[in-house]
Amino acid sequence: MFLPDFDYYAPESLTEAIGLLMQLGPSARVLAGGTDILVKMKSGLLAPSALVSLKNLHELRRIRWDADRGLVIGALATHNEICNSAVVQERFLSLAEAAHKLANNQIRNRGTIGGNLVNAIPSADLPPILIALGAYVTLKGSDGSRTLPVECFFTGVSRCALEPEREILTEVVIPPQETTGSTYLKFGLRQSGALAVVGVAAAVTMEGDVVRDARICLGAVYKTPTRAIQAEQILVGKRWNNNLLEEAGRAAVGCCLPISDIRGSAEYRRDLVRIFTRRALKCAITKGHV
Amino acid sequence: MIPSTPADQKPKSIPRAYSHPGLPEPADKNYAVIGKSKPKIDAREKVTGQARYTADLKFPNMLYGKILTSPHAHARILSIDTSEAEKIPGVKAVITHKDVPTLKYGIAPARWDENIFCIETVKFVGDKVAAVACIDEETCYKALKAIKVEYEVLPAVLDPLHAMDADAPQIHPEYPLNKNTEIHQNFGDVDEAFRKADYVRTDFFIGNRTYQAPLEPHTATSIWQDGKLTVYSSTQSPHYFQYYIAREFGLPMGNVRVIKTYVGGGFGGKLEPTGLEFGGAVLARLTGRPVKMFYDRAEMFAHNRGRHRQYMKLTTGVNADGRILGVHADFIMDGGAYTSLGIASAYYAGAMLTLTYDFENYRFDMNRVYTNLPACGAQRGHGAPQPRYAFEAHLDNIAKELGIDPMEIRLRNARKPNTITPNEFVVNSCEMVACLEQARDLSGWADKKGKLPAGRGIGVATGSFVSGAGYPIYRTDLPQAAAMIKVAEDGTAATLYTGATDIGQGSDTVLCQMAAEAMGYTYEQMKIVAADTETTPHDFGAYASRQTLMSGAAVKEAGEEVRKQLLDMAGEMLGLPAEQLDVRLGKISAKENPETALSFEEAARTFFVKKGPLMGRGSYAPPKLGGKFKGAPVGTSPAYSFAAQVSEVEIDEETGVVTVLDVWDVHDCGQVINPALLHAQVHGALYMGMGESIWEEVRFDAKGKIQNPTLGEYRLPTALDMPRVHSSLVPSYEPAGPWGVKEVGEGATLPTMGCFRNAIFDAMGVSVNSLPLTPEKVWAALREKRKANGEDVWDPLACECFLE
Ligand SMILES: Cc1cc2nc3c(=O)[nH]c(=O)nc-3n(C[C@H](O)[C@H](O)[C@H](O)COP(=O)(O)OP(=O)(O)OC[C@H]3O[C@@H](n4cnc5c(N)ncnc54)[C@H](O)[C@@H]3O)c2cc1C
Repeated sequence: MFLPDFDYYAPESLTEAIGLLMQLGPSARVLAGGTDILVKMKSGLLAPSALVSLKNLHELRRIRWDADRGLVIGALATHNEICNSAVVQERFLSLAEAAHKLANNQIRNRGTIGGNLVNAIPSADLPPILIALGAYVTLKGSDGSRTLPVECFFTGVSRCALEPEREILTEVVIPPQETTGSTYLKFGLRQSGALAVVGVAAAVTMEGDVVRDARICLGAVYKTPTRAIQAEQILVGKRWNNNLLEEAGRAAVGCCLPISDIRGSAEYRRDLVRIFTRRALKCAITKGHV
Repeated sequence: MIPSTPADQKPKSIPRAYSHPGLPEPADKNYAVIGKSKPKIDAREKVTGQARYTADLKFPNMLYGKILTSPHAHARILSIDTSEAEKIPGVKAVITHKDVPTLKYGIAPARWDENIFCIETVKFVGDKVAAVACIDEETCYKALKAIKVEYEVLPAVLDPLHAMDADAPQIHPEYPLNKNTEIHQNFGDVDEAFRKADYVRTDFFIGNRTYQAPLEPHTATSIWQDGKLTVYSSTQSPHYFQYYIAREFGLPMGNVRVIKTYVGGGFGGKLEPTGLEFGGAVLARLTGRPVKMFYDRAEMFAHNRGRHRQYMKLTTGVNADGRILGVHADFIMDGGAYTSLGIASAYYAGAMLTLTYDFENYRFDMNRVYTNLPACGAQRGHGAPQPRYAFEAHLDNIAKELGIDPMEIRLRNARKPNTITPNEFVVNSCEMVACLEQARDLSGWADKKGKLPAGRGIGVATGSFVSGAGYPIYRTDLPQAAAMIKVAEDGTAATLYTGATDIGQGSDTVLCQMAAEAMGYTYEQMKIVAADTETTPHDFGAYASRQTLMSGAAVKEAGEEVRKQLLDMAGEMLGLPAEQLDVRLGKISAKENPETALSFEEAARTFFVKKGPLMGRGSYAPPKLGGKFKGAPVGTSPAYSFAAQVSEVEIDEETGVVTVLDVWDVHDCGQVINPALLHAQVHGALYMGMGESIWEEVRFDAKGKIQNPTLGEYRLPTALDMPRVHSSLVPSYEPAGPWGVKEVGEGATLPTMGCFRNAIFDAMGVSVNSLPLTPEKVWAALREKRKANGEDVWDPLACECFLE
């Protein structure tokens, strides 16, 4: 448990940071809050030759509402900044709640939304709600930037679309939408400081009792956070009731492929997917905020 | 201490009641200092961060040391090549078994089975192979990497239930069939009791491997200079460290000084010296420089000495009215690769089952087996909590079968004061009945039992623990505890010198309160020097909940000696016989005429001028306790605490999540010295019991490697998981303890696991027969029950899959 040797840079601008990444070559890595990467380095899983700290890029910390684009969250916003942000609470309270369910207070003070996405572990707490709310990310490289729906960002366990040797994730954007209710439910094995055994996010657009649109995203039960499309289809156009939600819950189980590990067996996780899909839907339908 | 006399014969019938000759309960308990919630004597240092723990100490020229450990659960060492490591700049010493004494050690003398470094085989993942001392920590890791060890991997014993199989690999050639401790005790006639019983029931339960997980990692800094070894250590017992370190190196105890600094928790895991002390001493001698060694979190888990996992079969025969006639406990415990304190753990597992309920016939069979897993030892409550869980669950099964309320069956069987257990423990004070009744009333049992809404349940369980073990860990005639008090020359302060060991539980505070009470002084003027084998008198340290009673008795005697000398001097000064004087809170006055007064300071100063230092001395040795059968000493104690717990839980019927809403703990712990600290101990002990009940378990992969040696995956509960805790007391006085005290530090860990299990049983009618009572196990049990009831249970494995 000792950090290996590495070079350290703390550039003053985004351009400089991207330039450094290109110049330092493929084994350099970006450092944000360090709650993932330093743990990996200490346990010998990763030995980057250099770390490029983003700590001076203050513009990447901002969280703001843009009438056209929606909620724009800088990649360096910490989980606590997100859950305590007035504009997040006002526009997408479910995201603030999801950030609050993540890890513990110490980690929430340091860990960032950008790190949470790029780290790309299946049990991460922010991706499901971001996907359910149709968020996208901006990735900036030397030759410009590209945007990508969060849903398409993850490519496997600890793998994502970002090219670490030339790109920096700069912002996460949740577009304005007609969604009437959303939520993220996390099942962890204690109240704080536990990774999700199952996480389920749901976002619905209701017209009276009728479900106009539904998006469900499952965490910790597949190699990436994953939409439960078949479950969504069961709901759309129907008047909701508990049986319908149970049916959707069962369908959601068909959309995942959980593993058995020390946190829970595959069988248990699958039943939890059913239960929490149903509960998340009910919560999104009845609680009346996004 | 286990005498080796083979005497497993059926004992003669023993008396079942008696009266204790100890100190009678005083009519006037108008105490000046004890019984009050004085602030902790070290609170300021701790909350301001000034307190220096062992890892904070720095010495000129200090080196850092680390231990290389085995990556295999069981392997033969073919060769060790340290030459590359030695070449690295900054590496000052590299040692293996060739550089250290090969004398086997261990905390329990009946089975010394550990070497400082492994010689022929490594016996678990984490076993000690070599060590380095370097100019800094970073160099240590480089050096460890450069040591080349060739292993021949051997088949390993990972399942304790198969450790005794004839074809199982042998871990220690000296101990065939991997049997570490085998116990067969028989009291009364259990078979006859079962024949007479109206109902005989057998249940089987499995415990969990848990770890103490103290906040502060183990650390030791060794300095070996001019033939004298000084060790600063994060220890629960400077004495046992001194004794075993001196023995290992052939040093007179006088040339080994062990000093405790502030300690951030031990809970049983810091009672015995480790590779940090033994390896560190050698490195300090070879380099001539101070060497600091420590375990990181994963190394702490590997060193372990935590709770044994027990496999527990219980058979009990009862009358139709629920009176227990006889009990047979048949256990196996997973000891891990070494003995540690495990012989005592094995005996404790059975011995303590006879305390809270009164029955005459008892048989206890136990095998503690070696496995290729980290060694287990003493953890808060020692061997007793898991058997207690099993027994309390078993008793609820019996109560349910007989249609008796769980509270009622306990009241009918509850032990009474001045009785003797079948295994010959003498119980003086015992308010078991009062504890149960108060827990029943405070929790609203009558309004809740059977009347709670769906998903809610209420459970009860009991516990009892020793107030100090009747015999020390190795055979010796040393007294249990000793103390010295020196009053400052001008009388404005007094220093208590005690070997008692404050590891966070507050013994420094409580003992200073006791010293002040005995002297007639104020707590605020007390200073303390503790747990340094050179400056403080002998004491065995912090384990077996012994210090309030045992160290306290020595402190009381020392304080009374000061008081006597002081009053003699005051008598001379006032021209009155000393018997007519009293001293309280630093004021000396005549009993008859309170105006005739003198301050403690004046009298103490005059004493110093005329006679030299004003000092008091005290020591404490318990009476000879226990029977004559093999293992009889384990579980003996001058006094036993008793406790009842009731808990109310709410269960999510779909997910199996158990939310504990409230816990009521009612304790009989004799005279209370510091109520705030006492309730803190109850909260802490309950917290640990809770963690072991629902959350905590050390897990291994198929090769014997720990899967969760981190605080992220070894899930201790957090503040948010805690229920409302109601800690309450019953009036009690213990004739064998100073001022009537008994233990509290471990007792509240005992009932919790069974209490939660019983509350779940009450809520859902399902029994979870293994610890921890995880949501997944409750979920599985609930599904089984629904299936058994013919309900349609959806199968999550058989649903349509939409993924390709
Ligand atoms: C004790 C503990 C508990 C945890 N519990 C949880 C939990 O409950 N739920 C959960 O979801 N996570 C949890 N985590 C994981 C972690 O804290 C989060 O994923 C956090 O958001 C990571 O952010 P960071 O800023 O610390 O990332 P870092 O460690 O700084 O970086 C992580 C990875 O992302 C890359 N990276 C970071 N920012 C950028 C960027 N802007 N552009 C490009 N690449 C970037 C880094 O190069 C690195 O590869 C836990 C971690 C710990 C240590």
